[in-house]
Amino acid sequence: MIELLGWVPFLPFLGFLILAIAGERLSRRLIPWIGAGSVGISALLTALIGAQFLKGAMPPYRLALGSWMAVDNLSVPFGFYLDPLSMTMLFVVTGVGFLIHVYSAEFMESDPGYARFFAYMNLFVSAMLVLVLADNLVLLYLGWEGVGLGSYLLIGFWYEDPNNGYAARKAFVMTRAGDTSMAIGLFLLFTQLHTFDIQSVMTQATNLWTPGTVLPVAAAALLLGGAVGKSAQLPLQSWLPDAMAGPTPVSALIHAATMVTAGVYLIARTHALFMLAPSVQFAVAVIGAVTLLMAGCSALAQTDIKRILAYSTISQIGYMFLALGVGAWSAAIFHLLTHAFFKALLFLAAGAVILCFHHEHNIFRMGGLRKSMPLAFLSFMIGSAALSGLPFTSGYYSKHEILLAAFEVSPVLWTAGCLGALITGIYSFRLVFVAFFGPQHAQVEKSPGWRMSAPLLLLCILALAGAMLEIPLASVFSALAADENLHELNTVSAITVAAPFIGVLIAGLFYLTGAFSTQRLESLVWIRQIQRFFFSGWGMDAFYNILLVRPFKTIARLNKNDAVDSIYSATAFLSLMFHRLFSSLQTGQVRWYASSMVLGTIVIIAIGWLS
Amino acid sequence: MNSNQFIALAPILIIAGAAVVTMLIIAIRRNFVLINCVSACGILLSLLAVGLIWQANPVQATSLIRVDGYALFYTALLLLTGLSVIGLCYDYFKARTGENEELFVLLLTALLGAVVLVSSSHFASFFIGLETLSISLFVLISYTINRQNSLEAAIKYLILSGVSSAFLLFGMALIYAQSGVLDFNGIGRYLMNQKDMNALVLSGVILIIAGVGFKLSLAPFHLWTPDVYEGAPSPITAFIATASKGAVFALLLRYFISAYNYSYLPFLTVLSVIAVLSILIGNLLALLQNNVKRLLAYSSIGHMGYVLVAFIAGGRIAPALVVESVTFYLVTYFITTIGAFGIISVLSTPQIEADDLSFYRGLFWRQPWLATIFTLMLISLAGIPLTAGFIGKFYIFASGADARLWGLLLTVIVGSGLGLYYYLRVVVVMSMNVEATAIEPVEPVQKRMSTTILAVLTLLLLWFGLYPGHLIESILLISNSLK
Repeated sequence: MIELLGWVPFLPFLGFLILAIAGERLSRRLIPWIGAGSVGISALLTALIGAQFLKGAMPPYRLALGSWMAVDNLSVPFGFYLDPLSMTMLFVVTGVGFLIHVYSAEFMESDPGYARFFAYMNLFVSAMLVLVLADNLVLLYLGWEGVGLGSYLLIGFWYEDPNNGYAARKAFVMTRAGDTSMAIGLFLLFTQLHTFDIQSVMTQATNLWTPGTVLPVAAAALLLGGAVGKSAQLPLQSWLPDAMAGPTPVSALIHAATMVTAGVYLIARTHALFMLAPSVQFAVAVIGAVTLLMAGCSALAQTDIKRILAYSTISQIGYMFLALGVGAWSAAIFHLLTHAFFKALLFLAAGAVILCFHHEHNIFRMGGLRKSMPLAFLSFMIGSAALSGLPFTSGYYSKHEILLAAFEVSPVLWTAGCLGALITGIYSFRLVFVAFFGPQHAQVEKSPGWRMSAPLLLLCILALAGAMLEIPLASVFSALAADENLHELNTVSAITVAAPFIGVLIAGLFYLTGAFSTQRLESLVWIRQIQRFFFSGWGMDAFYNILLVRPFKTIARLNKNDAVDSIYSATAFLSLMFHRLFSSLQTGQVRWYASSMVLGTIVIIAIGWLS
Repeated sequence: MNSNQFIALAPILIIAGAAVVTMLIIAIRRNFVLINCVSACGILLSLLAVGLIWQANPVQATSLIRVDGYALFYTALLLLTGLSVIGLCYDYFKARTGENEELFVLLLTALLGAVVLVSSSHFASFFIGLETLSISLFVLISYTINRQNSLEAAIKYLILSGVSSAFLLFGMALIYAQSGVLDFNGIGRYLMNQKDMNALVLSGVILIIAGVGFKLSLAPFHLWTPDVYEGAPSPITAFIATASKGAVFALLLRYFISAYNYSYLPFLTVLSVIAVLSILIGNLLALLQNNVKRLLAYSSIGHMGYVLVAFIAGGRIAPALVVESVTFYLVTYFITTIGAFGIISVLSTPQIEADDLSFYRGLFWRQPWLATIFTLMLISLAGIPLTAGFIGKFYIFASGADARLWGLLLTVIVGSGLGLYYYLRVVVVMSMNVEATAIEPVEPVQKRMSTTILAVLTLLLLWFGLYPGHLIESILLISNSLK
């Protein structure tokens, strides 16, 4: 079974090719069968491969499909590498991906770009699978750029609105800044270690480099740049909220469950390198902690249902970075897995609400949806519980592990994480209480059909019980497995568990019972200012505007006539002048032609004699 | 003369025989199609003979002719060129009134001259071959005598060719006066024993360079090129641009290597000056040209300059690499040039020669296949990858860089940049919309023969561009035959 691994990324690619070439000419009944079907078969294959793989002792499996490029001492094969880490990612990408594709079949049904949508989605899934399966850094980079392209195409899917185009471009350019840093990192690794094969790079780096020296620190920092861009972490996080311009299934698949976690995967995949650079690894933890707090605060101030979820995604990836930074590698991947379940669930449920509720995004115009949309309510309750990390949900187990591991390294990081958990409780239940409780403001137009309901139900189950799917990663991260033993219940642990409950309680007091009123808070000027500051995502956009956009525009304006261009104008002018000069010699008269030959001969004889 | 030599001369003899046979048939019965077939068959027979003796050892047939791998490769190239030109002539002249049969006799004699040139190892065969070629060309150029420029072009070419022949002869005489020999190897032996360059021999070689430079339309002997290209019928222009120039170039290379001329810096200096001038002047003149035939004429001046760079590199690098580079470049140049003039001749009718740029406006919409082929030919001339022209240019750079001719390579880069402008200009014109067309073009009649040839040329162009290995292998077989 495992030999069929190559088909897992290839099938969605085939689906992309068919949909891209045949396009809207296909019958609309056939399109979802191809689009979702290709991912479905991939998921089935993954399940079979996984069953076989997990049964055994799980030795890493390599599959070489051929050579991509081979020049001199550089050879890049199309090679896949399957170990528990990539197996986990495969389950997430194909499994959650398949559910989202099924959901999209109904969600996008009335859209004129039905085939285009599935073509992009399949392309994305295929690229993501290449990313997680690649056995060398160049193939990984191909997948990395491929998912970037998919993300760009899907954010700007409704391209008639220029704002969606801007959002897509913003996402593309900002992630590209990170990608460039990553590419330089790859070059550095290759020039130093002469190989792109990930496993060899890791063993060689461990053997050749002493921890904390310049080379591993530089390489790890450059890779971190790529991870930070892709995973929307400080300072490159501001593209993700805007990426919500895309269709909601896209937000669920790309901007919650899979692509944005690629940075986490990258760091986990190259963890040996980060362990050689303790300073960079600590930076990962700090970035994670700061980002999770910043994004959590921003989520508190949002009113758009998707933007709340977007900031919560940034915040949850912050947790994963925190875990990576403190060396809790498996906890990070575990949280990646559970987060994929509950965040996909939340997004899909939000999509159902948006679709059935007049395309409304503002939670304050919803209200009372509890009765009219019971399934969405159930999904949000379970999803938010898991997001906040309430006990007995999947999110609880993963987040708990992270926070305890953070405490081992530094109580400050742990405090930040707990504070973040509290904020998470507030903003997620604020969303639930505002949108689903209280008086109903408008009627629901329709209710979702089975293709939307079934994925929601399945994801509900996964969000609750997904923690049982944890794959033992000890063989991948053998070096640090010992550090990750769960601790006995004590004060630290108790506070960790209690934090989200306090958050839920606060949310309830404000938005459910009305014991505290938000109006009273907002009457204070400084609260309003802070709220505005949080709403704008800590002014990151304004910051980049001042730092980059405005100087660039100024320079562009100053150089409107392009100083460099004058070199080319001069070249053109000179060429024309000489053209006229030589043309004037083409008189068409034989006497001149003959005498020019004689003259020419004399000149070259003279040159011959003189030289 | 023994049988071995006789066999070695078979390709030449067959061509000569074919010319005689065609002439006799014309005397008995004028039939355009028949004559066309007979001459084509003659060339095919000759090609067959080349194929049969391809693997044989080099044969010195009299002191005039040396039949070795180098000669046979170029003979085959010239014969294939002749075959393509005859195919193009078939469609071009079929619809024309007048007695068009002698055209093929002349083509065969011109081919004979060219084949003698590439096998020549002696000043006598050098001169005889050159004159056989040139005299046939005078008539061929003026063949469409009713067209305005045709006769004018022929007379210009006749006079100037006479001037250049005079230089050539004088140069040979000077060399003979000093060395007392006329065969290349003899001159080589003489020069090897000389300590210093004798002023007379120096002038002699430079005069030969001047004479040959005229035939190759190298600056400053290039002024005739556009007029003759424009005036000659398109298939004949293709022949002048390829067979005539290629043969002369092959001869010059053989002379330089056999006669030990590479050891003398003054020759290389003179050639470098000529190369720089040709590249710059040719490409600059083509810039704003609105006549496609003249444009290709100017571009051919530049191309001859490019090959000359690889030629000059012979002063510093092994002759084998020079032969390899020059031969590859010439093969690609042959393919693209025949292709480009083939397009012009397919589009031309007896009434109108399709050489004005306005004629090509919107060609992509009217004749998409022809336009595509023309585009491919042009981008190959420009040296853009995936076409054979790129590999050719790569060879120029490789040999130039090997010989550290940085100045010349810089000129090649400048020339290529200028070249892109005017080649792409034609492509742009071809893709403009049709409404604005000033001339209502005459719908060309079906020209199956020419279009087949064009299709084959296009396939070759892409084949050599994508898989140059096959061609390079066969060139490598001959690259050591010159010593």
